[in-house]
Amino acid sequence: MTRRLNANLIVGAALVGLVVALALVSFVWTPYEPTRINAGVRLAGYSSDHLLGTDRFGRDVLSQIMVGARTTLFVGIVAVGVAGFAGTPLGVMAGMAHSRWVSEGIMRANDLLLAFPALLLAIMFGAVFGASTLTAMVAIGIATIPTFARIARSRTLQVMKTEYVLAARAAGRTRVAIAVRHVLPNIAALLIVQASVSFAIAVLAEAALSFLGFGTAPPTPSWGRMLQEAQGLLRIAPRLTLWPGLGIAIAVLGFNLLGDGLRDYLDPQLEDRR
Amino acid sequence: MFLVSLLLASIAVFAFMSVLPGDPAQVALGVQADPEAVAQMRARFGTDRPLVVQYLDWVGGLPTGDFGTSYVTQAVIGPQIVDRFLVTLWLVATGMVIAVVIAVPVGVVAAVRHREPSGALLSGASQVGIAIPNFLAGMLLIAVFAVHWRVFPAGGWTPPVDDPQRFLRGLVLPAVSLGLVQAAVLARYVRSAVLDVLRQDFIRTARAKGLGPYRALVRHGMRNAAIPVVTVLGLQLATLLIGAVVVERVFVIPGLGSLLLDGVANRDLLLVQGVVMVLVVAVLLVNYLVDLLYVVIDPRLRRGQ
Amino acid sequence: MDRPFSRVTALATAVLLSLAAACGAGQTADPQGGNGADGGEQEGTELTVGFAAEPANLDFTTTDGAAIPEALLVNVYEGLVKINQDGEIVPLLAESWEISDDRTVYDFRLREGVQFTNGEPFTAEDVKFSIERVQSDDWTVSLKAAMDVVESVEAVDDHHARVTLSEPSNRWLFQMTTRIGAMFSREGVDDLANEPIGTGPYMLDDWVRGDRIVLERNPDYWGDAPGIQTVTFRYFNDASALTNAMLSGGVDVIGTVQEPETLEQFESDEYQVIQGTTNGEVVLSFNNGREPLSDVRVRQAIKHAIDHEAVLETAWAGRGELIGSMVPPHDPWYEDLTGVYDHDPDRARELLEEADATDLQLAFRIPNLPYAVSSAQVVQSQLEEVGIRTKLDVLEFPARWLEVVFTNHNYDMSIIAHVEPRDIVTFGDPDYYWQYDNPEVQQMLDEADSAQEGRRDELMRDVARTIAEDAAADWLFLLPNLIVAAPDVDGLPTNRVGEAFDLTELTRG
Repeated sequence: MTRRLNANLIVGAALVGLVVALALVSFVWTPYEPTRINAGVRLAGYSSDHLLGTDRFGRDVLSQIMVGARTTLFVGIVAVGVAGFAGTPLGVMAGMAHSRWVSEGIMRANDLLLAFPALLLAIMFGAVFGASTLTAMVAIGIATIPTFARIARSRTLQVMKTEYVLAARAAGRTRVAIAVRHVLPNIAALLIVQASVSFAIAVLAEAALSFLGFGTAPPTPSWGRMLQEAQGLLRIAPRLTLWPGLGIAIAVLGFNLLGDGLRDYLDPQLEDRR
Repeated sequence: MFLVSLLLASIAVFAFMSVLPGDPAQVALGVQADPEAVAQMRARFGTDRPLVVQYLDWVGGLPTGDFGTSYVTQAVIGPQIVDRFLVTLWLVATGMVIAVVIAVPVGVVAAVRHREPSGALLSGASQVGIAIPNFLAGMLLIAVFAVHWRVFPAGGWTPPVDDPQRFLRGLVLPAVSLGLVQAAVLARYVRSAVLDVLRQDFIRTARAKGLGPYRALVRHGMRNAAIPVVTVLGLQLATLLIGAVVVERVFVIPGLGSLLLDGVANRDLLLVQGVVMVLVVAVLLVNYLVDLLYVVIDPRLRRGQ
Repeated sequence: MDRPFSRVTALATAVLLSLAAACGAGQTADPQGGNGADGGEQEGTELTVGFAAEPANLDFTTTDGAAIPEALLVNVYEGLVKINQDGEIVPLLAESWEISDDRTVYDFRLREGVQFTNGEPFTAEDVKFSIERVQSDDWTVSLKAAMDVVESVEAVDDHHARVTLSEPSNRWLFQMTTRIGAMFSREGVDDLANEPIGTGPYMLDDWVRGDRIVLERNPDYWGDAPGIQTVTFRYFNDASALTNAMLSGGVDVIGTVQEPETLEQFESDEYQVIQGTTNGEVVLSFNNGREPLSDVRVRQAIKHAIDHEAVLETAWAGRGELIGSMVPPHDPWYEDLTGVYDHDPDRARELLEEADATDLQLAFRIPNLPYAVSSAQVVQSQLEEVGIRTKLDVLEFPARWLEVVFTNHNYDMSIIAHVEPRDIVTFGDPDYYWQYDNPEVQQMLDEADSAQEGRRDELMRDVARTIAEDAAADWLFLLPNLIVAAPDVDGLPTNRVGEAFDLTELTRG
């Protein structure tokens, strides 16, 4: 099992690193207060004062982009966190269960959840709990649970058939012990890859929700909402669409490539491509 | 099993809607409504009855297609949902066709040439394509093709029977916005599936016999490659039914997603319940259809166990 | 071998059938009596106007919201009287009227030869029917309360209607120019949500829910035929889509511009931009009923902290007018009160110290409407400079905002545009959501309603000045009437003085 660095991994990590760096730096320093309104410099172009210009309220675009990176990462972390921490145990249980009822029951519930698209859940949650990044992301996380559960279950089933596990069972180890010692380490790789891909999807989903008005509420900067605000100004100030759009594209691209790269790096047997 | 899923889904939907804060009667009467009028309105809507009664009343009508009457528009809900559903379906179906038309050749070539720079380039392009939100693609397309060069309309919807030409012209940009991004997603799956097939023994045999890679593929491999692709198509179709809502917004298309959003905003509970149920049924149906298609595509399944 | 194939055939048939059915997609709602003009369309007699909010249905007697009367009032439904661009009441279905000396009896002389689109003639019986219907349970919209002052209606003869009020009310005749004054046919109220039957210059031709309403010239109209044969109202729930439609020729007119900062791309010879006034005061409402805003000094501090010009400039691209009270410039008792509280952050800080309120944290709950979201951010930023912190909550409109702010009064400040004409009277209602209880104001409003015109104007001016000085609310700006149109369109309403988008004067070419 050779672990080779590959182009996807490197490029992906670099792009993700860029986004993370922006977010981290923003905690320490931004050129301006991102929410500070300054009517005098509305819709200003590129200048030494405002490197990326200003928006319709006179707020500095670069500062908004930097703080927006935080929102982007927050989005992914919550969604993937919810999906992973809820979906994985469910999948493992379904895979390890002796009784068919438990296993089938979990998978049926899974299928039912799958019938509710992520966007739909996010809209409804937003209506009940008020539109905010958190509610939208929890909703998307919940809608992603089936994906993680499915992967966890199918891989668990494979692992359960390996010699190590059969031996452990013969030796009378408890199921929890088997789960922790054998199953989890072996499904971890696949889950990490999925986490990366789901992260990308969550970022796109937040953009769509902010566009519809169910995502991040003002005045917190968010790349998705910046796009929505820049819509009408596309002909007058296309740069307001360019930078948040680029930010989203880089984040999504980065996480997707990272996912592919990790897949090839961690477990080439998963998908033999070379 | 199907029916049980439907029943459970209906309970889940109803329960969720009853938790929504905000009173439909209040919303219908708007600003300056007094408590007496609101109470009267509630009686008219039937929202003052116990929840179980309301649920049974609603669920009972569903099998016959009776979704009730909307609080806000006072029109019968069923035909409205069907109508908007069809609009979204036109949009999504055309988008998927465009996606398939682009993705299959791109994915196949990317797979066959995966060791060459051109293959890597195509693969990279599809990665970038996924990273662009479809409403952004829509906005850009409008800016270029509708505003700058007035080739296509910036939005709106004409029913196909009214004016087929206008209908088609109006469908192009939104369907392309959806289709381009879906094509990128699909291309990756096509590439991966074709790569898997290329490694199979019977392909190697065909190549050994002297067939070029494409002909070998077409003759022997396409069926196998089609299976994972068809699965993905099915999943995409299901998600797109609601996912198209952003594109519907940008292009002002009266589809199912917009109906849902309006219903939520107006607390038109019956309408929202109806739309969600229809969506859920659609998703379950699509999965069933995909299973059917498998049987057609996969010769091994066809020959009976 | 057979089973999969028959399944496939079934599948294919189903698909083909659905395709056939799907060809009719997008056609909900019944067209009323066929499509199109006779003899085909003529050049220059078509117009498409774009708007934002879509009407939920066509019945404004039971459904709130501005979109329905916007399309149907004055164009399809007419009242006895109408409001003109200067804010004056002028005759419409009533040729003339006489008011008794004690001002409780109105004798209306009705126009002759008027008929409804269902063929029925318009008579005094219909006047009686319409007014009594407002007072009945058939009308549920709260604006109906304005008809409570009517004691009786009598059809003296076919063209003479007599209305008796229980007390003199200046307000009543003005309210008859709004939706409650619309005249309905006794035989024509069966399906108001889908089939409007009126006396106006236009009639409903087609309605595609979620997309457009098509009005067609009424061939039997009693007055001068309107200039445009077919007018289509198109609805866009996305402001940019509306702008794009204008840029790409999808609409000929933007009826209400939602994104004023995009107007600069219309400043060219290819378009005309019209700016006028509306009744839409964008109010920064204060919850006078609870602390800390129950203290007048805090309210005054807030007003001094706000730079209204900056708010207007940032939130609405400088388009609109600054007002000092709840009165737009076209109302007869308008007075410029913008100077009552000038932009003085130092004075604001002083007042806060006096009131011992230097560490405020206010609940700023606004609806998710564009002008509110924009203004709120500017206001928030300005208040921070004098030490007032606010927590901004953007609530879904209408449902959550109505519930939280309007009904439950669970807020400190909010922002919303009040678009009803002459709605200063809401400051006389202590239960209204701004919880302002000033007996002096209430008394002045009562008196003004029954007073003679000169005295009325005086009293109303006093009311306006009192609520301004008392800082009952802050008025951020008056929404402008902003229209963008193709250069060949004439007769567009400069000021939006009522609920209707008046099509009657429009011509093209």
